[in-house]
Amino acid sequence: MENRRALLEARNLRKTYRLSRRNQVEALRGIDLDIVAGEMVAIMGPSGSGKSTLMHILGLLHSPDRNGGPAPELRINGDEVGGLSDRRRTRMRADTMGFVFQSYNLVPTLTALENVALAAEYAGTSGSKARQAALQALGWVGLEERAGHRPMELSGGEQQRVAIARSLVNEPMLLLADEPTGNLDTARSVEVLQMLRRFNSERGQTLVLVTHDPEVGETCDRIIHMRDGLVEEAAHHVVPSGSGH
Amino acid sequence: MRLLRQLARRKLRTALTILGITIGIWALVVFSSMANKINALVEGGSQYFAGKVLVFDASSLGVAIGTAPMKLEIADQIRQLDGVAASAPQVQLVYDPEGGGVFGSAETLLGSLAGADKGLETFPINAVQGRLITLEDEGSAVVVLGSDLARKEKASVGTKLKIRGVEFEVVGILEPTLTAPDSTAFMPLEASQRLFHASLPAPIQEAIAADQLIDQVVVYPDKGVSESDLAARIETSVDNVSTLTGAQFDEQVGSATAIFNAIIIGVAIISLVVGGLSVINTMAMSVAERTREIGIKRAIGGSRGRIIRELVVEAGVIGFIGGLVGLGLGALVVVLGNEIGRDSGTVLFDLTPGTAIFAVAFSTILGILAGVIPAWSAARLDPVEALRYE
Repeated sequence: MENRRALLEARNLRKTYRLSRRNQVEALRGIDLDIVAGEMVAIMGPSGSGKSTLMHILGLLHSPDRNGGPAPELRINGDEVGGLSDRRRTRMRADTMGFVFQSYNLVPTLTALENVALAAEYAGTSGSKARQAALQALGWVGLEERAGHRPMELSGGEQQRVAIARSLVNEPMLLLADEPTGNLDTARSVEVLQMLRRFNSERGQTLVLVTHDPEVGETCDRIIHMRDGLVEEAAHHVVPSGSGH
Repeated sequence: MRLLRQLARRKLRTALTILGITIGIWALVVFSSMANKINALVEGGSQYFAGKVLVFDASSLGVAIGTAPMKLEIADQIRQLDGVAASAPQVQLVYDPEGGGVFGSAETLLGSLAGADKGLETFPINAVQGRLITLEDEGSAVVVLGSDLARKEKASVGTKLKIRGVEFEVVGILEPTLTAPDSTAFMPLEASQRLFHASLPAPIQEAIAADQLIDQVVVYPDKGVSESDLAARIETSVDNVSTLTGAQFDEQVGSATAIFNAIIIGVAIISLVVGGLSVINTMAMSVAERTREIGIKRAIGGSRGRIIRELVVEAGVIGFIGGLVGLGLGALVVVLGNEIGRDSGTVLFDLTPGTAIFAVAFSTILGILAGVIPAWSAARLDPVEALRYE
């Protein structure tokens, strides 16, 4: 159990969106959270509970604020990342995180291979090496054959697998998935979910995913329930299968 | 290469943007070429008239247009004056009274006595084929053609050519000068005097013998004598003459062409501004259309600098391609226009390497500038907002 170090530590995460001078939405109202390396965690909750906001903050796409509360803390691998500049946060996203979105979010004018290679290039891998790494990552999701196709020539399931390959190409410490099966039918959902589960158990890939789907939640080691910007409870905490690797 | 492939995959947008730039650059190339030609003509004229005084009959309207007859003895009279180094009598006529010429490029024939300038003529005229007119040619019907005129007449050395109904033998073709000599036929003074005489009304023909007939005198001042002083002295000492100095030519023709240039450059600038705005507009649209893509790139680790660079380089490439296409189309117009114009003796355009390089460089820079602002604002987008953009 000694290598069950916390990959992600969050304290007092708050986020308030000011819509107008009088109207503001407290999306997060003080979240404390620890995610251990190798864990596969689901974040669940009704619409508007703050799941996506939490994901954006964990993914360094947005910064938390205080809104009168104690100073927020966010540590990744022990390093405080709250006060980093945009440049450093961008760099950190490229190097240590992978993102999977509900609507795949592939660049439409790039082929599958180029989409995956782009993420490698952003992390500082040069041209031909980036393509090599991209081809390898497409192999992990079983799409080497489709490397030269553009997103519109691929099915939804295939597009999501390309997006997973893209999120994995830099072998990041943390994978963040926002409703990764939300746009897929049951068979494709199972396929994608099994793939994510496999990367988690075989490679110890830490995975945080937001979902509506209780079945998806059941696949995870732990479910964090959210309601009204707060963590409701931590349900069935199991020992992460990825630990000990 | 990937950039070019990406541009190719957005065919319509890329084509429209390139078209916008192309039209502006096309106009710039065509109008600049026209301005180049006119400037070369004027510069050549200014170079030709520098350091000398032209003397006409007082009733004459100007160079080669409605020139009035003068007596040869006026050249001798002028030669006697103080400060005159050489006085060369000449006949300058419209080459073909039937055909019209366009401003600045009217075809003329010029008869003069070889050597009458005493070697003081500095305007460089060289034969590219055959030879120049010599004093031994006096009395024979020979002619040396400027380059444009030779092309128009499809003449080379040895060709027999009818000029104002008289047959001449071509003995030389001149190097292109980009100015008046290109459309001039040079001949011995005597031959031109006969042509001039034949063109005059009968009463004048009777009053003056062909070999006494000229219509202008080119006067070269002594070293240290100013043209304007000499011109004044000629006008007071010789009856019924008017003079034109280099400075007066620059003033008269220079101000006319300055207006013409200003109009041409104005039109070119307006087309460029319109073209430039259309590029900025299409770039801004193209960036807006790709808001989501920019959000994706930011989310997966593309830095602001990198996003700006990608968009600006893309805009620069679009500008460069638009510039090349515009230059190509402009060059086509210039070549075709000159080909068509040559037959009627009107060479309107001169596309210089400087103009070509300027056009492409300008459109590339225009593209880059047009890309910078949308790229800058795109890179500052909140990635989460950009990802939500539909």
